[in-house]
Amino acid sequence: MPVFQCEDLTYFYSEREKPALKSINLHVEEGDFLLITGGSGSGKSSLARALAGLIPYFYGGRLRGRVYFDGRDVSQIDRRLMAREVGMVFQDPEKQLVMTSVEAEVAFGLENLGLPREEMVRRVAEALSFLDLAGLREEFTAHLSGGQKQKLALAAVLAMQPRVLILDEPTSQLDPVASEEFLNLVKRLNEEMGLTIILIEQRLERCFHLADRVVFMEDGQIRYDGTPGQLASWAAARDIPFIPPVASFFARNNFATIPVTVKEGRRLLRQNFRYCKTPPVRPVEKKDTGKPVLVMDNVWFAYPGGREALQDINLRIFPGELAAVLGNNGAGKSTLLKTMAGLLKPTRGRLMLDGRDLNSEKRFVPGRVAYLSQNPNDYLFQETVEEELHFTLKNFGLTDDGVVNEYLEKLELIACRKANPRDLSSGERQRAALASILVTRPRVLVLDEPTRGMDGRLKDELGKILSGLCREGASVVLVTHDVEFAAVHATRVLMMFAGRLVADGPKKEVLGSSYFYTTQIGKMCRGFADGVLTLADALASLELLWPNRKQKGEARFIT
Amino acid sequence: MYENFFYQDKGLFLQSLHPAAILAYLCILLVLALLFSNPVYLVGLLLVLVLNISAAQGGEVWGIYLKIGLGFALPIIIINALLARGGETIIWAGPNIPVLGRLTISLEAICYSAAMSVRLFIVISIFCLYNLVVHPDRVLALLSRFASKTALILSLATRLFPSMVRQMANIQEAMMIRGVDFQTGNLKQKLKSHAVLINILLLSSLEDSLEIAEAMHARAFGSGPRSSYQRHVWRPRDSFCLGGAILAFGLAVCAQITGYSTFEFYPRLGCLLKNTMAVFNLVFIVVFLSVPAVLSWGWRRCPYFNAKI
Repeated sequence: MPVFQCEDLTYFYSEREKPALKSINLHVEEGDFLLITGGSGSGKSSLARALAGLIPYFYGGRLRGRVYFDGRDVSQIDRRLMAREVGMVFQDPEKQLVMTSVEAEVAFGLENLGLPREEMVRRVAEALSFLDLAGLREEFTAHLSGGQKQKLALAAVLAMQPRVLILDEPTSQLDPVASEEFLNLVKRLNEEMGLTIILIEQRLERCFHLADRVVFMEDGQIRYDGTPGQLASWAAARDIPFIPPVASFFARNNFATIPVTVKEGRRLLRQNFRYCKTPPVRPVEKKDTGKPVLVMDNVWFAYPGGREALQDINLRIFPGELAAVLGNNGAGKSTLLKTMAGLLKPTRGRLMLDGRDLNSEKRFVPGRVAYLSQNPNDYLFQETVEEELHFTLKNFGLTDDGVVNEYLEKLELIACRKANPRDLSSGERQRAALASILVTRPRVLVLDEPTRGMDGRLKDELGKILSGLCREGASVVLVTHDVEFAAVHATRVLMMFAGRLVADGPKKEVLGSSYFYTTQIGKMCRGFADGVLTLADALASLELLWPNRKQKGEARFIT
Repeated sequence: MYENFFYQDKGLFLQSLHPAAILAYLCILLVLALLFSNPVYLVGLLLVLVLNISAAQGGEVWGIYLKIGLGFALPIIIINALLARGGETIIWAGPNIPVLGRLTISLEAICYSAAMSVRLFIVISIFCLYNLVVHPDRVLALLSRFASKTALILSLATRLFPSMVRQMANIQEAMMIRGVDFQTGNLKQKLKSHAVLINILLLSSLEDSLEIAEAMHARAFGSGPRSSYQRHVWRPRDSFCLGGAILAFGLAVCAQITGYSTFEFYPRLGCLLKNTMAVFNLVFIVVFLSVPAVLSWGWRRCPYFNAKI
């Protein structure tokens, strides 16, 4: 008997005409590792909530069809029993922790279940030990890093000893290292404890290979349900971006077996390309030209506590450049952006914008560098999107010379210009916040992790918008953990470590020579075609090796 | 910088006390501060607090608290000295002021103001000590036995406060980029620009609250009667500290009845220590209240002692 069974499940959120879930039929077997993927608004999270019993009890709305857990209708199961059997970890660790200390947080769910004290003490100890959080038992939850917070959220759910664990984009707010660690933990839970895992994810490079089965959702419906390899072939044929680049590369080249890891990919490359002597593809990089718009000379910044977040930064940003700043958490990336934006004043060194020394200015002068923080909600509060743009213009004493329409069009916001920005989707909110700072036509735009929580399509849209701004002469500097995004859209890559710039150059040079900070395709092609970073690069390289292979019917590879 | 004002786990003896014991101890200190009017007894209490704050490694933070306290104490001393009319030992006579009459400063008024300032410092120091040694979550856990929902609301508020402060700073930066000026302008303009901040913070908090509620719901909150996770053990050290505080409280009640701990400021200053019994009483109160500081000293230096308590 499947642990979950959905029969013709359709669900409407209250006051919505369009269903969030449409005729879903799904079964999940005990011990399965099921990955549910799809774009923003495709219904992934709604399905997870329906399985956890949160829909319709918490959200209200209208539900048709049935969800069965262990053969029993979820609507008939006691809520306490459901919470005990099915644990759920949400996207943002900040918004799921309730208590002030680690130990109390883990105990919270157990208290809700009304367990006796002795049982709680044992379970708390086990959960903290398993997740290596025992040393942080007395720590304030506010003092934990993002990765630790998400581990704590997992510990709090595991202490309730569920049979099924549902994870709704648990790594979307984490850096790559913390994401990797978290997903490895989840895999261990599946393999060592036999827990049924239902993982909702849209960044697939790290989790695609972990799943036994992948479900692809679109428009509230299940479009495909199969093994990772099967999904890769199906998605590649339809140009759907929700597969990892390695799988996409092999699927597009008609391999019978689709590898889903770098290791498997390299094995196939070795078998097929070992005699290849063709030089690697190295597309010509555009050189820095013209006068730099932003100059940082020996810039240092120390926070009031004395921590030196920036150490001796020397940097020149040129017009038309899209520079991506990579590095671990705490490397000083966000401080660098805030210093560029003038929000933080260097404690030493010189910061010049358009030849003007910003250090000599006593107060912050806005409008010259636009800064978009990680959370677009920090920018949005007006009744309509259009008013957001007018608000910025008014603050600068500018009149609308058509700039509002110009940016609404450029950022594809015309359709929702009269909508409340808080009612928009995450991608639209991001674009609305971006438009609100672009109306002053700044020469430099700095963005802090703009792709966080975005699906592949939205990221691609954002990348195109930013590239468009660069073509018009603006300079863009963005901090990101998303190496794949940087490889596709950036022209230059900077790497930071402990407040210092440790690498700076064209993306092919920096990402191509980096062992860890490189793309999945880059890792796979290392040694075969150095400097190949993206799927497009890899396909172009193959075209060079076997020109016209499709026409000649030579798409026969060893698999 | 601000984190110094909040609890930080340093593995100290005072931080290891049972929340009930340390809360009772601090309550007794507060009651005694309000009960005593004798300046020597008040200074004795301040001495106890200095020892405890030193044991809690909070000297630096206490210095900041004292500076803030001084800001309140100086106006109290000046205004009381100028306006109090009860004292007979006039040390300065000033001009006639309409409505207020002739300004005079008496020795009694100055001494009274000084004693009240010491009391203010004691209350501030108790607050400082509380922040240094009491884990807020432990107090909430204690409270949750009697009022679980109130404890949960307090816990949520405590947890969310730092992130709201952080969010407020982020919103301020975002608004600065959009040209909102928080520095210049008259009061009305400043209020208007800050209203934008509050507006966004409230909107975001409302959205966030729904997600927190969902996470709590998923973890069975509100699904039935809750149990309480009490992880604190009562050790001999808690008995010693609480015992010392109770004995000190008993002696203080005796001192209050006999008048040792009270003091006449007006019309003329009375006798500070009426007899040797008043001195012994004070010494014993200080000694009993110093039990936590003394145990802390021994705890750091003697592993055997450490294991026994």
